[in-house]
Parts: sequence; structure tokens; C-alpha cells
Amino acid sequence: MKLKNLIISVTTLLVAFLICLAIQTWINAEALIPTVFVLAVLFISFFTKGYLYGVVSAIISVLAVNYAFTFPYFQFDFTVYENIVSAIAMIAVALIISTMTTKIRKHEAIKAEAEMEKMRANLLRAISHDIRTPLTSIYGSSSVILENKDTLSPELEKQMLKGIRDDSKWLVRMVENLLSVTKLDSGNVKITKTPTVLDELIDSVIHKFKRKYPDYAVKLQIPEDFITIPMDAILIEQVLMNLLENAVIHGKGMTEIVLKVSVAFNKATFEVSDNGCGIREEKLKSIFSGMYGDTKSTGDNHKRNTGIGLSVCSTIIKAHGGEITAENLKKGGALFRFTLDIEEVNYG
Amino acid sequence: MANKNKILIVEDDVNIRNFLVALLEANDYQVVTAGSCKEAIMMFTTHVPDLTILDLGLPDMDGTFFINEIRKEWSAPVIVLSARTDEQDKVEALDTGANDYITKPFGSGELLARIRTVLRNSRRNCELGVFQGGKFSLDNLAIDYDTRRVYIDGVEIKLTQTEYNIVCVLSQQSGKILTYSAIIKAIWGSNDEGSTKKLQVNMANIRKKLGAKPGEDSYIINELGVGYRMKDKND
Repeated sequence: MKLKNLIISVTTLLVAFLICLAIQTWINAEALIPTVFVLAVLFISFFTKGYLYGVVSAIISVLAVNYAFTFPYFQFDFTVYENIVSAIAMIAVALIISTMTTKIRKHEAIKAEAEMEKMRANLLRAISHDIRTPLTSIYGSSSVILENKDTLSPELEKQMLKGIRDDSKWLVRMVENLLSVTKLDSGNVKITKTPTVLDELIDSVIHKFKRKYPDYAVKLQIPEDFITIPMDAILIEQVLMNLLENAVIHGKGMTEIVLKVSVAFNKATFEVSDNGCGIREEKLKSIFSGMYGDTKSTGDNHKRNTGIGLSVCSTIIKAHGGEITAENLKKGGALFRFTLDIEEVNYG
Repeated sequence: MANKNKILIVEDDVNIRNFLVALLEANDYQVVTAGSCKEAIMMFTTHVPDLTILDLGLPDMDGTFFINEIRKEWSAPVIVLSARTDEQDKVEALDTGANDYITKPFGSGELLARIRTVLRNSRRNCELGVFQGGKFSLDNLAIDYDTRRVYIDGVEIKLTQTEYNIVCVLSQQSGKILTYSAIIKAIWGSNDEGSTKKLQVNMANIRKKLGAKPGEDSYIINELGVGYRMKDKND
């Protein structure tokens, strides 16, 4: 970070200096020179962190202007009134811009945190609403079986036991999502990324998917090369699993799921698409917010229809510094896309 | 009565314990139980079970303490029950001497399969001692330890020295998951910063040479974030 700030400052000053030299030798418009340096200071203050670089650059600029570009040339002269004024002005510019940028940065950090918090709250709300239905059925069915053991027909008993098992399975899926989110420790959105081999990740995801949904095949389009991507593999696995599962559960009429990964410009792009019914336009906008579990029309069949999985995906991807989007395909079906940086992780 | 395998269940949650007892007894195992780490060590030393199923989160001490204790004298296999979120716990338990782990919640079929595999492996290791020389075969894969050659369908697969060593280590403990650090230690001796990457690259080459495709059944199963496992014959 320090090095980056230093590089920005030095290069900017150097460029400014060269421009001024050019102005002096060729167009002879010396009035422009302080302006060029003010611009340079402004630029440095804006793009570096804290006050130090801006102020130091301002001082250097004043000296440079004084030394090289004002009469008497190539010597310092602080007796001239306008030189002192321009020095003060320059430093003031540096201070003001630095203060402003620092403020803006702080504000942005707070906003990001608030958004994360809001997301988590939405998620909790949606989950507590959704968890109640299967719990009621498990609780009720098991009580009935225990208390009416002699009068229940074996068939009914079996049916209820099956219901208990199905509902627990659903709860397991829900809890897995919840765990992923709690792993994104509040306040500190950073996660531990370890270099993960793309092939191994995909292999693991597809194996799990196959075990759960043996009737569906996923078409893979992934690069042949050996690629490692820094990530929390378990969380990204969860994201891919959720997206694939969504295609199965929500993509009515779906006959094909495609998982595609491509790599370009230090970014890996993951795409999960299906050829099912697609996403309703009005849902598309808020699909990652965890809010769309349309509570009004929640018939019982709709209870498995919440956006929790997707808001978990979005939370995870954002915590990785990536982006996730959803769209409908022209030929029908939905496409979910997210990106991850491939840049090596910075240890320590 | 036939000689039943004895299994010690160490789990503090009564409901899970009951379900495990019912499941295992129904499948013809003899079962003893313990609800804490101390009790577990006591039960282990008196009953000397063939296998222990161990929950890591116990009320008195961490489950790894139990593994450490019994590993001083016994080699009887241990299967760890773990929650999904803590890969680190899994790795630690495996490196301490656990033979396998299973993630909560699990299906009964999955658990029974793991138990069978682990018991079979421990029996095999007892009978043969540590593998030396001889041959290994798994589906279409064959390894000749004497000539250090690997074949698929009788056709030799050209592996580098390191690649062969990795395959060899995995095959000698087939069915058992080996953590990254365990493999690295076995191959390179020491564990420095670049070794995981080295292992990953070698592994990618091995998988390619053995004709593995992502998501398809392969000889070597990768357990994300934990390690690798050579498929067991009866998996």
C-alpha cells in the first residue's frame, strides 16, 4: 500500500515536471506551470491514502516551481511575495482534497458494512419464517406416531415417517446455508482464501450434486489448464451447489444444466445456466436480496421457494470481492454468473 | 454366536446416541457407549473396541484428546463425527490419528459404509503388516510395487518419480483419507510454503494421466480443503 502511494506520487510529480519543462521550452506560457502542479497535487491527494503524500507533494511542487520555473531560474527565491502565496495555496489544496477523500472512503466503508448487516437481517427473517413449517410437520408427525402407535395404519405411519425424513433433509440444506453465512464473521467481512484447484472444486461439487440428484446431469465447460483460484473452497462450493440446485428445483421444464468456467484478465467467471422456465421479470431485480420469498402467496408448496439460497450466494461472493448477476436467456432458461479474482493472495 | 465387531460410540447427545445404537445393533454390531471424553477413555480401556465413533465436541474435553490418549497404545480405528464448518478440526483429527471422518448430518447408509471400509482396512493392515512389495489392484488400475509401475487395463501409465510416490502412498492406505500435510510429509519429508501447490500440481497431472474427469468416478477422490483418498475396492 505504502509502495503504491509512493509510486503514484513520484510518477505524477515527474510527469508534471516534464510537462512544465515542455511548456517552458516550447510554448513559453509560464502562467500555466503552477496550474499543472496544482493539478498534480490534486491528483495525488485524491488517489493516495492519508495526508502525507499530498502535503509532501505540495511542498515539492512549490519548491520545483520556485526553483526551476520562476525567475530567477534554477535558484530558490522566497522573497517574492507571490511565491509564498502560491506555496500556501498549494498546501491548502492538498489538505482539503485529502480530507475530503478520507471522508468519502470512510463513508463508503460504513455503507458497505450497513448493507452487509441489512442482508444478514433479511436472511434471518426469511429463515425463521421458513424453518417453522418443516419443524411443525416433524413435531406433529412424530407426536402422532408416538401417541397413536396402535391405531395408526402402517401405511399412514410410513407416510408420516417419510414426511419427517423429507422435512429434516430440507432443514439440513437450510442449516448448511446458514452456517455459510455465519462463517462470514460479522464486522470483519474478510475470509480466509486458500489457493484452490479449479478442477478439484468442480469435481467435488459435481460429485455432491450427483449424489443428491442422480437423475440430472450437468454439462461441464471448464478450461483444460491447471488453474488455482484463491477462495474459501467450502463456501464457493456452497454457492455452486445452490445455483445447481436452484436450476433443478425452480427451473420448470429444465432438461439441461450447464456449468461453465472461463478465465480472462485475472478473473474467473463461473456461469450456471439451465433451459427451464427462467425467472419472472419482477423477481429478477431483487433476487439476491433474500426478500423475494413472496410471503403473500405462500401456499404450502411455495415454502421451499425462498430466495435464501441466492442471498447466501450473493453474500459469499461479495465477501470474496466478486460479483454475482442473474439474467434470463433469450432461448429460455436462467443464467447465473459470478466472478472471482485469480490474483495471488497476499499472505500476511 | 458369531464374533461380532465391537463399536464404542462417544457422543454426548442422547438422541444421536440412541439412534446410533439402534442403527448399529440392527446391523449386527456389539455397541458400548460413552458420553464424555473421560468416560470414553475408561470404556475403551475396559472393552477394547474394534472401532470408535467419536464426536469431537464433548462436554469435558476436546475429542482429539481421546485420539491422542488411545493412539499411545492402540491402533484400533477411529471415525470422527464432525460439523460441516470446521475443515481445520477435521484435518487436525486426521493428523492426530483418526482414520476417517463423517460430516453431520449423515445418512445411516453412509455411516455403515464408512464403518465397513475402516474395519476392513484395519483388518487388512493387521494381516499384512505394512505393505511391502506385492501388487495393488482397484477396478482397472494395477500397481506393481516391485517394479514401481502403474497400469490401467494392462497399459502402462508413465508417471514421474514424484507422481508414482504419491499414488503409492495413497494406494497403500486406500479407502483412508490422507491430509495434504500427511502426504507432503510422506513424499518430501518437510512441509514448506510451496509444498501444497507442488502437491496440487502433481495431483492434477496424476488425475489427468489416470484419465479422471471432474465429477466422474475416479480412482482418487479429492476431499476439498482436507486431502485425498484412494477409492477403496468396495466403495
